[in-house]
Amino acid sequence: MLDPYSLVNDDASLISRRCWSDASVYEAEKQRIFGRSWLFLGHESQIRKPGDFVQAYMCETPVILARSEDGQVHASINSCTHRGLPVCRASHGNTRRFVCPYHNWSYSVSGDLVAIPQEKQVAQCPDKSALGLKRVPRLESWRGLIFGSFNDSIEPLEDYLGDMRFYLDAFLLRFPAGIEFVGSPQRWVIDANWKLPVENQLGDVNHGPFLHAAIIPAEANQEIVDYGYSVVTQPGHGATFRLLPEDAPVESVGWGFESIPGQTGGAELQEYLREVHAQASDRVGPIRARMKGLTYGIYPNLSFLWSNAAFKVSHPRGPGKVEYWSWSVVPADAPAHLKKILRANHTSFFGPGGILEQEDSESWMQQLKGANIGFADDRPFYYGLGLGEEKPHADLPGLVSSTANEFYARAFFQRWRDDLAAEVRA
Amino acid sequence: MSAPNITPELQWSIEQFYYREARLLDNRQYQTWLGLCSEDISYSMPGRNNLLVDNRERGHESMIEVDRELEGIDSDGCPIRDENYIYLMLRVERSFKINAWAENPPARTRRIIGNVEILDIAGDEYSVVSNFHLHYSRPGARDFFYAGQRRDRLLEVDGDYRIRRREILMDMADVNVPTLGLFL
Ligand code: FES
Ligand SMILES: [Fe+2]
Repeated sequence: MLDPYSLVNDDASLISRRCWSDASVYEAEKQRIFGRSWLFLGHESQIRKPGDFVQAYMCETPVILARSEDGQVHASINSCTHRGLPVCRASHGNTRRFVCPYHNWSYSVSGDLVAIPQEKQVAQCPDKSALGLKRVPRLESWRGLIFGSFNDSIEPLEDYLGDMRFYLDAFLLRFPAGIEFVGSPQRWVIDANWKLPVENQLGDVNHGPFLHAAIIPAEANQEIVDYGYSVVTQPGHGATFRLLPEDAPVESVGWGFESIPGQTGGAELQEYLREVHAQASDRVGPIRARMKGLTYGIYPNLSFLWSNAAFKVSHPRGPGKVEYWSWSVVPADAPAHLKKILRANHTSFFGPGGILEQEDSESWMQQLKGANIGFADDRPFYYGLGLGEEKPHADLPGLVSSTANEFYARAFFQRWRDDLAAEVRA
Repeated sequence: MSAPNITPELQWSIEQFYYREARLLDNRQYQTWLGLCSEDISYSMPGRNNLLVDNRERGHESMIEVDRELEGIDSDGCPIRDENYIYLMLRVERSFKINAWAENPPARTRRIIGNVEILDIAGDEYSVVSNFHLHYSRPGARDFFYAGQRRDRLLEVDGDYRIRRREILMDMADVNVPTLGLFL
């Protein structure tokens, strides 16, 4: 593979086109990034009852996330031990057994092999306890968010998330019963490299006033200029948000009010949003009550979009293809009919039908073309905007800057480069 | 089985309405098209899941029925689109700005509307299903085929029709087209 230090320079202000397009780089990413990080699998609300399961992915590896009779959550590789077929073919459901279609070996929800139909006809009796589905070695959940890792010796999830918990809690604890995921994710195959959607959601609010000028009003962009922050808690993790003044009215600072559902969804919904905001200071403290989030990123490929209430995962499918998943999230305590109004905040703006994201996804596809111009290999992409301008902040953990500073992306690529290099040098 | 009062003239006039609508959309006359929508329109596209057949309904048509795959606006799941007139206005406005970059240069569409079937008449409202095949082309030799069904409620107004409810079922098992944000 290419030397990672030739792809990303020391301060990560120059990023090689090969980072996005080279097949050997991609193979190394699978091993050294996705093989070693905590990867998002799903939310507890998707598998409430025993037998509930959803399909998930860890990079390209298909995973079944399921809840067994004893309430435990399990993550198993979706591949039969006999000849390798996926034993789970539905996107989600509820079951007692996963039965492989080919020869009907069947597995419990926790992944144990429970039956081999052919075994009555042979004298030799295979040891079923050794033939279950391969487990995802590490599985942890925090505030209902479930992550898995291929890396046995990875640090605990809470440590991995680190100070991002401060920013995630600003949203997750805002609602008395937390959040829940609504229905199935939107799954969208795009001809793009997985890192560009990640970068977009990690901190690239710079593109908003330009790429999205047809939709995002000038006042919204001005609010970001006036009150916007970009934060990196540690390389690869970051958040962008507005920190509104203490006297900002609830209609401008409260979660949900800036959305079309919040503005047109009726008096009862607005009353609910007001109520949420009235409790915000008690629940998350005075600083975070004034936070009006934009985008979040958790290394390597999880994103959270505060403004449109969605979790997203960028699943790689090769250097030039991504399966981009996104879920609507709503406050778990909201009445069912209000949840139905709120979910459109995500769906009509993001995902394949999204008014906004159609512009993003086209940009991601076009970037891949640029990344494949061999003749321009000596012209790496420029990531130097705002170099060195980030600083600590009295109230906000991490390094903080204006949203125009691209340090969020430099930090991501420094971690990415060092991760790719670590095993090469070991 | 057909509802009463479905005369050849009625069938013809609804088909003509759909042909006109298709022509407006393929000609990118979205502002004129918006005039065909009732201001109380519900315009939606259900999410569509890949589920195993329902074993409890073994042997019955309900075992493999289409509707159980859908996450529509009345479900607790998540539709791909769930829009009212305001969203459609926003989409139409976007189309006439220079920074609607996904369609600048504009994509091309060509659609065939067929299998127009009037299922029910209630006063001045008609429940109609129709199928579409749509060819979508973006610069860069990127051509895509869309197929699906529209479940409409049309309101008769002064001898013409307004779309009051449209539910669009996409037939792809996985979304591998550049956008589902089209007017369909
Ligand atoms: S491949 Fe699964 S039972 Fe044979
Ligand atoms: Fe965007």
